[in-house]
Amino acid sequence: MAEKSASEYRGSIHQQQKELMLDWYQRLDHAAETGDPPTVSMMISGNCVELLEGFGAIPLYPEVNALQLAIRHQSLEPILAAEEMGYAGDNCAYVKADIGCMLKGITPTGGRLPKPTLVLCNFVGCNTYVKWFEHVAAFTGAPLYVLDVPFLRGDQPSQADIDYVVRQLKEVVLQIEMLTGRKFDYDRFRQSVAYSSEVEDLWSQIKHLAKYSPSPFDAYFDAITLMGPLYVYRGKREGVEFFRAALNELKEKAQAGNGIYEQERFRVVVEGPPPYPYFRTFRDMFASWSAVAVASTYSTVGGLWEFGFRHDPKCPFESVAMHMLAQNVTNRNYLQRYDQIRRYVQEWKADGVIIHFVKSCRLFSAGQGDMRDYFTKQLGVPTLYIESDLEDPRYFAEAQTKNRIDAFFESLEHAKHTAGHAVFERSR
Amino acid sequence: MRIAAGVDVGSTQTKAVLVGANGDGVNVLSRSLIDTGANVRRAAEKAFDECCQAAGISQSDVGFVVGTGYGRYNISFGHTQMTEISCHARGAHFLCPGTRTVIDMGGQDAKAIGVGPSGEVLDFVMNDKCAAGTGRFLANAAEVMGLGLDDIGPLSLRATRPVKIATVCTVFVESDILSYLSQGKRPEDIMEGVHLAIAKRTLSLARRVNIEPLITMTGGVARNIGMVRALETVLGQKIVVTPDAQFMGAVGAALFSLEKLGESFESGVWRDHAVSSGN
Repeated sequence: MAEKSASEYRGSIHQQQKELMLDWYQRLDHAAETGDPPTVSMMISGNCVELLEGFGAIPLYPEVNALQLAIRHQSLEPILAAEEMGYAGDNCAYVKADIGCMLKGITPTGGRLPKPTLVLCNFVGCNTYVKWFEHVAAFTGAPLYVLDVPFLRGDQPSQADIDYVVRQLKEVVLQIEMLTGRKFDYDRFRQSVAYSSEVEDLWSQIKHLAKYSPSPFDAYFDAITLMGPLYVYRGKREGVEFFRAALNELKEKAQAGNGIYEQERFRVVVEGPPPYPYFRTFRDMFASWSAVAVASTYSTVGGLWEFGFRHDPKCPFESVAMHMLAQNVTNRNYLQRYDQIRRYVQEWKADGVIIHFVKSCRLFSAGQGDMRDYFTKQLGVPTLYIESDLEDPRYFAEAQTKNRIDAFFESLEHAKHTAGHAVFERSR
Repeated sequence: MRIAAGVDVGSTQTKAVLVGANGDGVNVLSRSLIDTGANVRRAAEKAFDECCQAAGISQSDVGFVVGTGYGRYNISFGHTQMTEISCHARGAHFLCPGTRTVIDMGGQDAKAIGVGPSGEVLDFVMNDKCAAGTGRFLANAAEVMGLGLDDIGPLSLRATRPVKIATVCTVFVESDILSYLSQGKRPEDIMEGVHLAIAKRTLSLARRVNIEPLITMTGGVARNIGMVRALETVLGQKIVVTPDAQFMGAVGAALFSLEKLGESFESGVWRDHAVSSGN
């Protein structure tokens, strides 16, 4: 039965995260005014942010802008503006929010956003992004480069795939040199790859701390908080410092036996992005059951580092290509995602899986019905399937969502005292 | 005798059940059923009050109250809340021992629940953001036909050539029906088509939780014999319906309440002197 639990963990890293992100937006504002530093629009998943360091450029992430709007309950206005213009109801709501912002001159923080020096579509997995970035280029008048990253067909990319992406990355370097008039600093690029490697190692260690029971942080909701710095500062010294501090803080908690609740009652794995317009409400639905996410696939959109991959400064271009091709969740195939979640359930010792279907994101959500069947019927892992959207508030039904989450945890609670739990135990 | 209650505040109707336990079984003391209306809190209070009056006891005699249904958090006198998914499974497990699948069709919900041997919820699926396959769909269809909700089930059983209803949309079904009426189709054939359309949709929902016998149908739509038969047709299996099907959420909530009072039972005698014998 649902009982209100103690509030979840809020550490100093949450405050540091806010400061880092604010600093990033201030630099974007400065770039809008002065043209310096150069900025490059990119997508989060499997990107090549390290390359930008070779020019002292900074990334501009339309997805981050969109989710920041949603979490501040400001996404509907730009979505409606885009729909008025002709974007269909079923279009990706991230796209509509971003395009609507351009139409209405809205930014998440109220500051200015620069016209990007280059719109770099690092298309991995999501073909909607090609159209999105074409539109961004059209609206801003910025030049567009579409990186063609082959979808991962087998377990690993072929050497030809890697060579193909590396050749394109080197072409991007020439493009930015031409657009900025700046010479590409290879040593700085390599140093950035080295920082990324360090950040990835720290982040991976943080992810593995969730194996502690109680877990010192929520690997869905808190991980999302940490994902901002992960994407903006991955290839920078500030990123290394932030994640080292985060690891120390969380390790101390874990070793002291401190979880995010007074008593951790359930451990789950979450698949899919969150409903950002109702982020707080959604989190409270888990908190009322003292349920912690010990792992999530969404936190691996940027990279799958908890299973060992690191960028490598000894072969920077190749490792950036490898990351784009094979080491982010969206460019991998569905069976690999099944296996990723199965490992989380087993190795992080979860009680069940929660799948959040995102209506306007076919990339992430198509096939999740089969995924649910795989976990419930083949593995015997209790799995909840809920639907809403990551950006559009109109698709979130609070009463329905809460009802399903409550029923799921009630059933887990009941199962702990009955044979149902024994069936699950055998399946692990 | 320990007295406990379950109050199920559904989207359309609110149900309350008062039970007592004296060691060897559960006695149904009373039950009540009212329209939920706009004031959820008042509906819950009224249903509970009517139940207590019918049993001739005061509200303070009730040791524990579990609230369930969408309005469960609005039950001011409830001691705790549980979802109707757990309550329907618990109620069906008690009243229909051996239940492994519950199909619950209410005013705005259709659910399939996989039930374990101890009455626990193994898995569940529900309709999402759409009233297709729910009581609301049937109510709309009945209204277009100018029929009462209680009449459409028996009427549909007289069908000889059921029509095909292409849509499962609660709104667009009206135009489908009007089209068939204009073609001169018989009302019983149209209503059977409506029931079969819902049954097929419910079948696809139920398949996702593994349909295993015994299948028990609960919720207000279980009162509709045409719906029960249509479901049996598409499932190819018998469905168990008890006279308390509509009260199953409240029954389960009442049983959880008894457990909260220290009564422990897997299954037992369901003595009902008030209205009907459920077991």
